[in-house]
Amino acid sequence: MTTALHSPYRQLAIGRRRAEIVLGLHVLAIVASGYVVLGLAKGPTLPPDLAFIAGAIAAMYVAVHVAIRRFAPAADPTLVPLIAFLNGLGFIAITRIDLARDTNFARIQATWILLGVAVFIGVLVVVREIALLERFRYTFGLAGVGFLLLPLAPSPIGRTINGARIWAALGPVRFQPGEVAKVLLVVFFASYLVDKRELLARGTKRIGRLHLPDPKHLGPLFLVWGVSILVMVAEKDLGSSLLLFSLFTTMLYMATNRSLYLLGGFGMFAIGATVAFNMFTHVQTRVDTWIDPWADAQGKGYQIIQSWYAFAAGGIGGTGLGLGSPDKVPYAETDFIFSSIGEELGLLGSLAVIATLLLIVGSGFRIAVDSQRSFNQLFSAGLTTIIGVQSFIIIGGVLRVIPLTGITLPFVSYGGSSLISNFAIIALLVRASDEAAHRRVAS
Amino acid sequence: MNDQTLDILKACLIALIYLFIGRVVWVVSKELRGTPLAAPIPQTSPSGPQASSTTEQKRHRRWRITVREPRGLSDEPFLVSGELTIGRGGGCAISLADDTFASALHARLFLREDTLWIEDLGSTNGTTVNGVAISSSTQLRKGDMIGVGGTALGVDR
Repeated sequence: MTTALHSPYRQLAIGRRRAEIVLGLHVLAIVASGYVVLGLAKGPTLPPDLAFIAGAIAAMYVAVHVAIRRFAPAADPTLVPLIAFLNGLGFIAITRIDLARDTNFARIQATWILLGVAVFIGVLVVVREIALLERFRYTFGLAGVGFLLLPLAPSPIGRTINGARIWAALGPVRFQPGEVAKVLLVVFFASYLVDKRELLARGTKRIGRLHLPDPKHLGPLFLVWGVSILVMVAEKDLGSSLLLFSLFTTMLYMATNRSLYLLGGFGMFAIGATVAFNMFTHVQTRVDTWIDPWADAQGKGYQIIQSWYAFAAGGIGGTGLGLGSPDKVPYAETDFIFSSIGEELGLLGSLAVIATLLLIVGSGFRIAVDSQRSFNQLFSAGLTTIIGVQSFIIIGGVLRVIPLTGITLPFVSYGGSSLISNFAIIALLVRASDEAAHRRVAS
Repeated sequence: MNDQTLDILKACLIALIYLFIGRVVWVVSKELRGTPLAAPIPQTSPSGPQASSTTEQKRHRRWRITVREPRGLSDEPFLVSGELTIGRGGGCAISLADDTFASALHARLFLREDTLWIEDLGSTNGTTVNGVAISSSTQLRKGDMIGVGGTALGVDR
């Protein structure tokens, strides 16, 4: 779209991109100094690859910035710096764990981040208008369910790793299809709910004082409920199951503005979870460990207890990068990355991570509110919900607020599938944000 | 490296992190205030008969939407300023209460610079421009015919 040089849209775009550059420099300073502090804690000299790491981060940031300038010039200026910060902090935490355990996760993570940046730019280039996605709603819906169930496919494709059947292998590449599925399903949910919101909001059947919608419109709700229970039972993936169901219920609530759905949805999930708890031992184990991790402190409760010790050792200000012992927590690089940040950067560091996630969620909802098409609103709000709910599930699990379910902390944890799908989510939010800016300035 | 130096470095790092978060909050609060983004969406114009009594000259420059089919529904054109919503619902600027094929909130007309655009708002039966169904925002030209449900609307200026 060509716009005059001094139009309000252009002015807005210039201001926002400037803010993005300044925030980017901040992020670069933080990550570089974090890397330096970590290096100095381990030895007397600066880490030899400091210049290379800083250069790579700057190059990736510039690539993303230029892509946004070119393809979505008036998009929100806070999203990219915020995810760059989380990514950088996660990279430092993973490098730290590598040093303690002599593993090589940070190098692989760097490759995934590079791929994530490519996916980000790719999404911005391909999805020129959010409405394009709406057109392929059923394709996305079917593909989403397909991806979700892919790990259940027979052995050469579906894989069970660490007790959860959430992996699929295509040739040499292993990935978690559920991570892709969640994005695809938001497209479907949003377009379905935009179509049906009035039917679902206005009750036609009346029971007592309640107006309930026609049961035939509720079919897909039960379908999603069934699929998420299936994921929980067959793939033993409690985290994704909870994420999927909260996502659909919140989107239903946002589309219809009826709290009945929120209550009903979580009521249904409670029923499903209770049944699953009574029928399957792996669900019982999770809940038992949550209620009393000390019952089996050397076994099932070991991980969460080690994580507590890590937070306790960290205190307010943390032990300092490189001075804690994050290798004591199993899976510190994925599910428990938050506790290694809590140990070495303390309460202040962990609060910074939570604040950043909240700011991302805030920006996402601001984009939803600014959007003028119903689909864009629900779609942006749905994508934002994924990031918010996922962060809550894993941070809550690590802190024992809710039962622990293995899921990644967005942008911080080690893990390719999650990193790439989260980059795609932010790219879509950036696109929606640019569209919202267009419309606001135009009207 | 001694512990004290590392402690100072750690404090600097955490200060830097909070400086960043503070800066983001500052950018966000600036976004929420002042900028054109925070301006409220202009209400749909008081369209129809009342607004059409403005001067002939002004009427000539502005986009006008006239109901062509069914005849006799409204003879006065609707003037577009800002945006106009079309639909069966009573809250729409162009309210088609009797058209059962129209969705409650069917389509939206809006101005961008001086051009007129239409977009479908996820209606059940879709919106057409000159008989062709639209899938995204479409620019309208003088003489175009919009189809919404069973109603045809003409575009003039």
